[in-house]
Amino acid sequence: MSTINWLLLSGGDAALWLLDCALDMFLWLFATVDVVLAPVLTPLLGVLNPIATFLGDAVYAVLDPAPVWVGLAVISVVAGVVMLFAFKVTSNQKAIAKTKDSIKANLLALKLYRDELHVTFIAQWRLLKSILKLQWYMLKPVIILGLPMLIGIAQMGIRYQWRALKPNEAAQIKLVVDSQEEVLPPIELQAGDAFEVEAGPVPGGGEVWWLIRATEPGKHSLTFLVGGETVEKQLVVGEGLDRVSAERVRDRWPLQLLHPVERPIPSDSLVASIEVFYPGRESWFHGADYWILSFFVISMLAALVFAPVFKVRF
Amino acid sequence: MRILRVTVCSVCAMAVCLSMLGCSERTQAESTANAKKVIVIGFDGMDPRLCKRLMDEGELPVLAKMRDNGGFSPLQTSMPPQSPVAWSNFITGAGPGVHGIFDFIHRDPAKQCSPYYSAAKTIVGEDGWEVDQHKIPLEFWPFNHNPTQTLLQRHGTPFWDYLDEAKIPVRIYDIPSNYPPSESKHGHMCCLSGMGVPDLLGGYGSYQHFSEETQIFIDEDGGMRSRIVFDDNKATAKLFGPHHTYLTKPKRVETEFTVYRHPSEPTVRIDLQGQSILLREGEWSEWNKVDFELAMPSFLPNAHANGICRFYLQEVRPKFRLYVSPVNIDPSDTGGQKVSEPVDFVEQISKELGLFYTAGFQEDHKALSNGVFKDEEYLAQANYVLKERRNLLRYAKENFDDGFLFFYFSSTDLQAHMFWWDSDDPHPTRSPSEAKKYNAVIEDLYKSMDAVVGDFVREYGDDALIFVMSDHGFSNFARQFNLNTWLRDNGYIEPINCQSLIGTQPGATPDWERTRAYSLGLNGLYVNQLGRERDGIVPPSEKDELLNDLTRKLLAIRDPRTGKPVIARVYRSDEIYAGPHVKDAPDLLIGYHRNYRASWASVLGSIERNVLADNDSAWSADHCIAREEVPGVLFSNRRIEKVDPALIDLAPTILEEFGIPRPKSMTGRDVFDAKVTAR
Repeated sequence: MSTINWLLLSGGDAALWLLDCALDMFLWLFATVDVVLAPVLTPLLGVLNPIATFLGDAVYAVLDPAPVWVGLAVISVVAGVVMLFAFKVTSNQKAIAKTKDSIKANLLALKLYRDELHVTFIAQWRLLKSILKLQWYMLKPVIILGLPMLIGIAQMGIRYQWRALKPNEAAQIKLVVDSQEEVLPPIELQAGDAFEVEAGPVPGGGEVWWLIRATEPGKHSLTFLVGGETVEKQLVVGEGLDRVSAERVRDRWPLQLLHPVERPIPSDSLVASIEVFYPGRESWFHGADYWILSFFVISMLAALVFAPVFKVRF
Repeated sequence: MRILRVTVCSVCAMAVCLSMLGCSERTQAESTANAKKVIVIGFDGMDPRLCKRLMDEGELPVLAKMRDNGGFSPLQTSMPPQSPVAWSNFITGAGPGVHGIFDFIHRDPAKQCSPYYSAAKTIVGEDGWEVDQHKIPLEFWPFNHNPTQTLLQRHGTPFWDYLDEAKIPVRIYDIPSNYPPSESKHGHMCCLSGMGVPDLLGGYGSYQHFSEETQIFIDEDGGMRSRIVFDDNKATAKLFGPHHTYLTKPKRVETEFTVYRHPSEPTVRIDLQGQSILLREGEWSEWNKVDFELAMPSFLPNAHANGICRFYLQEVRPKFRLYVSPVNIDPSDTGGQKVSEPVDFVEQISKELGLFYTAGFQEDHKALSNGVFKDEEYLAQANYVLKERRNLLRYAKENFDDGFLFFYFSSTDLQAHMFWWDSDDPHPTRSPSEAKKYNAVIEDLYKSMDAVVGDFVREYGDDALIFVMSDHGFSNFARQFNLNTWLRDNGYIEPINCQSLIGTQPGATPDWERTRAYSLGLNGLYVNQLGRERDGIVPPSEKDELLNDLTRKLLAIRDPRTGKPVIARVYRSDEIYAGPHVKDAPDLLIGYHRNYRASWASVLGSIERNVLADNDSAWSADHCIAREEVPGVLFSNRRIEKVDPALIDLAPTILEEFGIPRPKSMTGRDVFDAKVTAR
């Protein structure tokens, strides 16, 4: 039993080590990509996000009379079809068709010549090459479609992931300070008509927290005075499918992608981020965390259904 | 073809819908209750004398109307009138000789007098695969290790088993004496266990208190106190979780939390596992989930124990004090801990209601008794419990169509234990004006419970048979009687300098070869019987004489302060009990007079200097006395015919209502049967 234990423990330790290595590798890879992408994407998103938000508002204004789940279903179907069409335009359809035919042929060879070892090995090798080739052909459309898709998904996220505060509902607010100093500068949340401060500010750990209670419906502004600097954060109170900006972030492209509504906080600000802890939208179909699942399932189904119509192969 | 497709689609859609519905819908589809409804609202400890007075004063209009229609009677309780015993009587329709619960505390005669909690027993799994300081039970073949498990010790057949068998939907919320919940053999019973469910730490409610005043860590009965130290308005502390039982040497798991204190304002932020909780002085948090990680060997994923707790910021300055509620089992994800039947019933409730107390004892009376809470703080916490229960009641009503519904309120018991005081005698801990003020809390509580009953009556009217009942009443608890001290002083326990029944210190524990009787639990007295107790000496032939001698002397005891008798009645178990478990019962049951009860120390076998002493605890009212002194209540929206209804009569009455004949195991009788005469 002790040998089995030793083997299992060693195996477990090795697996954990490998997991750590994979994580480090991913972080290194991301940091490398970030060096290249940041100078391009950060200013680009600064331009694209307001346009996307404007378009998102227009689309959701059209869908407003329909139930929320219908809106999500329609958008998912349309997104599936648009992505399919875009895939057709941006991908090398001829090469993909040829590669898929090759995969089929080699699968057939594996079935027909299962007793011929030599043929089987060659078919397997070709199958592997074809699969890798297919992945390679997919890379170009993924790169081209990636950014617009993420921008579109972010626009959906700000409507489905969170919901606006209801009048008389409380929420916490977190302001993260970008300061190496142990003593934080004086930080104040200015009083407003749309909310009451129930508790706070409570500083500590480079953060300052408040608990506020919403009073008036509408789109409001929270004004923070941080060491002489004024920083604002949107607060949305109301019912329905109002878009909600949970966090106002620095001008860093991964954060801007996730939080597209508000103008980024300038890099030289003392404030790193301001977050309002909005409640998650509750629904098994279009609620927090579920909406993205519904979106992917419906859009993929739509793509599968319309692929023969548009004569797209993938 | 099209019709076929539509039909198939419809059937599939219906199947999906049905599979998504909860327990209630599934069983109601097969219900044979024929729209018949029986509702029992159980108010633990509701007292008939107080009810009568308030009804006469016009303060309980709904209950008074039931009384005026012939639907009121005091309800004979069990002997002893303790909740686990009394509720077991209700559940089985029979006495302790059948269900085997005689007291909160039982003893194991094979270990001489080792005490244990009577209603449930935890059997620690001894087998397991030992690896890297862990012992992991492998429950599958070929190992078949036995994991640690908790077993319900209540015997007898609960009345809902018969309803379940007859396909009558049964919904039971918070019932005592049913943990772990009994199994529904036919799938028509859903039950949320009440009294008896432990917290995540395995006890019956362990608060955790963090204060700058506390000098050293204290693990006391009811909770733990830790010192917290602030450095530049920041402090870290550890929240204790359950024991990591997969370790060869089990130890408590813990998780760290940080408290940030505002430099000048009475506000703090508590950072716990990625959650931030903002609290002002005097404020309670909502429920917060706490995940206690149980580290496993590297090749296995870590296990988790899911709990919930609430924080209460008592004081920020000058001395910081923070109370953390007992860590309850998370109702939204119990991690396999069975607090309901079916096991996911509690999770279904939580999906609708969010988080709520799952532990059996929800009002934190120990925090008040130990001085962690002040009266007002306890009242606020107890009222929060009541608010949660009323939410649960709303859920229960919304999910009840027909069949049987039971709903339990603990507030009438645990608020009464701490606030009841209906005399002008000095209160153990309060001034006369405060005693009066807090006694009024109980009256207000009864009024709000009357409103709860009113909601039922309004909603169901005569469409349902409604019972309002309690397991016992209440009495002041001013003086405590140490039965073991009396036994020692009268030569039944030897030697004379003996200080406790339990322990190994020579001279301080009994010489069992000379000890003839001892007491454990709140009302039980046992003969040290030859052939039964491990070190028994009293031959069965001499037992009668000894019991008669003890009875005579006990009834003669007078309180030197008042000259009044301390004990009203002494009951012989072989006379008042019948059934297969009588052999496990105490030989005598001590029925104290009102104002008296067994002393705190004697319950677990301690022997103090004085036989009688003042009760100095905030727990200032009780019911563990003679059963005739503290009957419960029975109200019904139908005329009660039986002259002296008892707890054991309710189960057969409920079954009769659904057309199920009274089973032989039940000794109670239908309270609506005019032919039944007084017992």
